[in-house]
Amino acid sequence: MKYRIIHNTSYKYSAPASLSQNELLLHPRSTPYQEVLECQLSIVPKPQYLHCRTDYFGNTVHVFMVQHPHNELAMSATSIVTTSRPLLLVPDATVPHERVAQRLAEHKQPIELEASQFVFASPLVTINTMATAYARLSFPPGMPVLKGAIDLMQRIFTEFAYDKTASTVDTTVEQVLIKRKGVCQDFAHLAVSGLRGLGLAARYVSGYMETIPPPGKPKLVGADASHAWFSVFVPDFGWVDLDPTNNLIVNERYITVAWGRDYGDVAPVKGVVMGGGAHILSVMVDVAAQESRQQQQQQQQ
Amino acid sequence: MSNTEFNGSSGQEVSPTPLFDMEALPENVYCEAFSGKAQPRSHWQPILNALNGKDLAELRQHHERVRHMRHEDGATINPFDDSTRRTTSWALDMIPLPISEEEWTGIEGGVIQRALLLEKVLADTYGPQALLKNGSIPSELVFANPNFLHSCHGIQPSGNRFLTFYAVDLYRGFDGRFRVLRDYASNPAGIGYALENRIVMSRVFSELYHKTQIRRLAPFFQTFHRALIQRASLRKEDPGIVLFSPGPDSRIYYEHALLSRYLGYPLVEGQDLTVRNGKVFLKKLAGLEPVEAIFRHIPDLSSDPFALRSETANGVAGLIQVCREQNIDIVNPIGSGFVDTPILKTFLPLLCQQLLGTELLLENHPAWWCGNSDGLNQAIAQLHQLTVGPAMDTSAVVDQSADLMAKIRTNPSGYMISAPVIPSLAPTWDLGGASQCYNVVRVFACATEKGFSVMPGGLAITAGDVETLKTGSPEQQQSKDIWVLSDNPIEPFSMMNGFHTVAEFKRSNDLPSRVADNFLWLGRYLERAEGLIRLLRAVYLRLSGEDRLEEIPELPFLLNILRTKNIIPKNSATESKHLFYRELVEYLRDALYRKDRPESVVFILQRVQETTRNVRDRLSTDSSRAINRLEDFGNNPSSDPLELLDKTLFTLSAFSGLAMESMTRGLGWRFLDMGRRVERALNLAILIRIGLPEICSNSRNTLQSLLEVSDSLMTYRARYKSTFQLAPVLDLLLADESNPKSLAFQFSKLASHVEHLPRQNKRRFFCAEERIALKMLTTVRLLDLTELECGENSPQNEMLATFLTSMEALLKDFTMEISGHYLSRVPATPHYAMISGEPAV
Repeated sequence: MKYRIIHNTSYKYSAPASLSQNELLLHPRSTPYQEVLECQLSIVPKPQYLHCRTDYFGNTVHVFMVQHPHNELAMSATSIVTTSRPLLLVPDATVPHERVAQRLAEHKQPIELEASQFVFASPLVTINTMATAYARLSFPPGMPVLKGAIDLMQRIFTEFAYDKTASTVDTTVEQVLIKRKGVCQDFAHLAVSGLRGLGLAARYVSGYMETIPPPGKPKLVGADASHAWFSVFVPDFGWVDLDPTNNLIVNERYITVAWGRDYGDVAPVKGVVMGGGAHILSVMVDVAAQESRQQQQQQQQ
Repeated sequence: MSNTEFNGSSGQEVSPTPLFDMEALPENVYCEAFSGKAQPRSHWQPILNALNGKDLAELRQHHERVRHMRHEDGATINPFDDSTRRTTSWALDMIPLPISEEEWTGIEGGVIQRALLLEKVLADTYGPQALLKNGSIPSELVFANPNFLHSCHGIQPSGNRFLTFYAVDLYRGFDGRFRVLRDYASNPAGIGYALENRIVMSRVFSELYHKTQIRRLAPFFQTFHRALIQRASLRKEDPGIVLFSPGPDSRIYYEHALLSRYLGYPLVEGQDLTVRNGKVFLKKLAGLEPVEAIFRHIPDLSSDPFALRSETANGVAGLIQVCREQNIDIVNPIGSGFVDTPILKTFLPLLCQQLLGTELLLENHPAWWCGNSDGLNQAIAQLHQLTVGPAMDTSAVVDQSADLMAKIRTNPSGYMISAPVIPSLAPTWDLGGASQCYNVVRVFACATEKGFSVMPGGLAITAGDVETLKTGSPEQQQSKDIWVLSDNPIEPFSMMNGFHTVAEFKRSNDLPSRVADNFLWLGRYLERAEGLIRLLRAVYLRLSGEDRLEEIPELPFLLNILRTKNIIPKNSATESKHLFYRELVEYLRDALYRKDRPESVVFILQRVQETTRNVRDRLSTDSSRAINRLEDFGNNPSSDPLELLDKTLFTLSAFSGLAMESMTRGLGWRFLDMGRRVERALNLAILIRIGLPEICSNSRNTLQSLLEVSDSLMTYRARYKSTFQLAPVLDLLLADESNPKSLAFQFSKLASHVEHLPRQNKRRFFCAEERIALKMLTTVRLLDLTELECGENSPQNEMLATFLTSMEALLKDFTMEISGHYLSRVPATPHYAMISGEPAV
C-alpha cells in the first residue's frame, strides 16, 4: 500500500512565548515491510535552529528552536510511505515463552542482546505483580511465545474498554488495570509491562493506521490519529507487532513511525516553552491511501 | 561503640594531662593515630605533640575559633531559613587527619588508575558498547540502570574526555589497607569544604601548619583550571566558564559560592542560562554572553529537564542538545553518573585487567551482586550478616527491616549485598576533650592533558557511628582537613590569590538578569517594609497616648491610609467615628504578624529575607548578619509593638546602610537603588493622594503626621521653623529635589540610573524607560504649588490629584519597561508542556 500521511500539530499561546524548544518523532522508520519515499517537515514560524539525529533506538528525531516571540507554533510532517504485509508466522510453531526468556537472559546472539534492552522496566512502564499476573494467564507453561502474545492482545481487546476520558499521558499501568479502560497507549503499556514481567522483550511502537469509513460513507479528512501498539520479540525470527486496541496483528494498513521502551521514548511532539501563558493544542492526522483499493487489486491481477 | 570509651580525659580539666592518654585501643578497628597503647604513629607525632602541649581551655578557644570562622564565612546551610533549622554541613573538627607521604603515594596511584579505568568504561558505554557486547559487563548494568542516559549515547565530549572530575570515598580497614566505598562522577561534592577547611586550619593552627611539611591544595585548583581551558581551547583572558549550582536551596550551596569566588567562575543557576542556536548563553543585563564551559554542581538527572523528561526547575532545557553539537565542555559530561552506579565497582577488577592490562590497585569494599548466582547464593546464606543496598539506583533506599529476601527474589539484579564496613578511628575534638570518630576519606582527581591529577588532601568525613558515616547527610556528619605530609620542603603557594580575583566584576560591568531582578525587588521590599513600619509606628504612637481615640484629630487620616492600602479591613468598625480600641489593636496586630497576608510586616520582611538570600553571595557578610536579625520579628508577639517597630526599622536601616556602603557602584547597586526609589515614590504619591481630602479638612495635625510618615518632619522643622502649611509641606514632599524623601528626588535618581544601564542604542532617550523617567522628572519640576490652598473642590486640589495619579501610572509603566527590557520576567519556572497527539483509534 502507498500512503500519504499528514500530521499537523499546533499550539496557540495566550501570551507571546519568547522561546520554544521542541523534539519531534514524526519521521517514519524504514522497516523490512515499510519504505519511506518522502518525509517533509514544515514549521511556522521558521525555527532559527533545526537539528536532526538518529536516537539510541534508531528513530529519526528532529530538534528545533523558535527563539523570537511568537503566539502560535505549527508543525506539519507529510510523509509518503509504502507498506507491505509482514510475513506471518505460525503462532503455534514459535518458541515456548520460558525458553525465550532464558535466551534473552543469556543473549548469546547479538540480536538477542539488542532485544534484551526491552526486557526491563522503563520510566513509564513499571514491572509489577499485578500486570505480570494478568499476562501470565495467557502464558501457561510451554505456551509458544507468539500464541501467548496474541492471546494477551485479544484479552486486552475484550476485557478493556476504549475510553478517551479515562486516560492522560501520565496514566500508569496499575491504574489501567484497575479501571479496565484506556486508550491505545495504555493498552500498549499494559501489554509491554506484562510481557516484560515474564522476562520477554516487548517494545512500544508509535505510528498510524489507515481507517476505513463505513460502507457507503466517504472518508473524512482528519478523522485519523496517531496510534500506538506493542511488539514482541520472537527468537530466530524477529519482532511481531500486535495492536490490542483493534485486536489485529499489524498489517500493511499500519505505518510505523518509531519504537522505544515506552511512550516517553517516542512521543511524537514534545516541547518546552518560555512564557506563552496558557496554550491550546490541536492535532490533525490524515492517512490517505494513494491508490484506491480497486486499483491495487487490478495491479495485483 | 560509644565515644567515651576511648576518651581518657573527658571532663577533666587538669592540665597538662596528655590529651590522648588512651586507656584502651579498640579491638578489630584500625586506629589512625596509635599503633598500640601510648604508641603514637610517627606521622601523627607533631600534631599530637602540638595538641598535648596546650591546656584544655586553650584548645576550647581554638575549637571556638574554628567554629566561628566557619560560621563567619557563611558555611551554614540556608542561613535565611527558619533559625531552628540552621545547621552546618560537614562541621570542621579541628584535629586534622595526617597521611604519610608513602601512604599517599599509594592512594594517589590507585586513584589515578581508577579514574583512567572508569573513563574508559564511560567512553565505551556511551560509545561502541563493546564491553556490553562481549559480556564484560552484564546487560542490566546498561539497560536496567537509571544512571545510563540513553539521550547521551553517541555524544563526543570536549577533548574526548568522558571523565574530568572524579571523587572516591576510601576507608581504612583493620588491616591498615584503604578500600573503595563509593565512586562519584555525576556531581562530586565536598571539594569546596576541603578548601574551606584548609583555609580555616591554616589560620587557626598557623604555627603547626607552617612548621609541618604539608602539601598545598591550591596547585590542584590551578591544574583543574588550566586543563579545562586547554581542553575547551578557551580564550585565556576571558574564559566563558560558569559554575552551575542548583541555588540557595542546596544543602551545600556554600561550597558552590566558595568555589565560584575561588576559581573566578560566575555562580549561575538554571534560570541564568539559556540555549540558543545549539549554544549556551548567560543572560545578562547587556544581553547574552556565550558560555563555553560549565563546572556543574547539579546531578545528571536534573541537568536537562527537556531531554531527560525530569520535572526539575534547576536544569537548563536543551543542555544535552548543546553537548551533541559539541559546543560546550561540561565538567563532568552529562551521563557520567554511570560511574556512581553502586554495583559497577564489583566489575572493575576484571575490567582493569582487560582495559588497562594491570591489576586494580585500590581494592573494593567486599560486595556481591544479586543479579548473578554467586551473589544471590551469598545473599541467601548470609543475609543477616550483610547489608543489602540498591545495585543501580543511587537514590533508592532499601528498607532493611522489610522482607528483604522476597524483595531480592522479585528483582535480583536491582540489589547488591555488602560486608559490614568497619572504618578506622581517628582522634576528634569533643567539647570535653578528645575522643574517637570513624572516618572516610574523600579524595578528588581532575583530568589533565596527560591523564589525571589527584588533589593532595581532601575531605575526611567523620561520624560517631558507622551508619551516619555511610548514609547520613552532610549536616549529620563532621569533617577534617586531610594533611598529606611531605618529606621535602613545600614550595610556598598562596592560597589566597584566588579570593582576590573576582573575575566577573573585573571582566565587565554586567550582571546576570536574575541577580539584577532580585536586587530590584530587594530594594522595593526594603522600602515597602520601612514605609509600612513608619505608618504603623505613627498609629501606635497615638494609641499609646493619654487621649481618647476620638480626640486624636489625625487618627482618621492615618487609618484611612491603612484602609486604602488594605492593611486593615474596610469595615464599619474602623470607619465609624467611634472607634473601638480593642478592635483596632487586633487589626494592627494582624498588620504586624499575619504571615498569610501580603500586606503584613512579617510577610514583607520574609520577602526581604528571601530576596537577600538570592543575592547573598554579592552582599557583605556584615549586611547578611544584619538581615539575620529580622528572623526574630514575629517570634515574640507579646513584646511592645512600638519597641519592636523601632528595633526593626533600625535593623533595616543598618542593613540598607551596610549593603549600600559595601557595594561597588555597579549595576547591582543601581537595581537595588532603583527598586527603592520606585517604591518610595509610589508610596509617597499614594499617601498624598489619599490624604489630600483629610489634610484639607483638618490641616495642622494631619500635615504633621503626613510629614512624619514620609520621614520629612525634621527637614520641615529645620527649614521652615513655622507652623504647618499646605503649600510648603507639599513643596517639600513633592518638588524639593534636595529632600531625599521627596518625589522629585526619587525621579532624579531614577533618571540618572537609567542613563547608566547597558543598552544597545547609544542615542539618548531612545528607550521607553529613559523617556518615562524624563517625563516624571520634568513634570514634577514644572509643578506649580504656589497659592495652593485647601478648599472645597478647589481646582488646584484636582490638579494635584490628577498629577499624582498620572505619576503612579508612570511609575508602574517604568518598572514594566525595566523588567521587560532587562529582566524579562517570564514565569520563573519554565513551563514544560509535554503533549502528544492523543492516541486514538
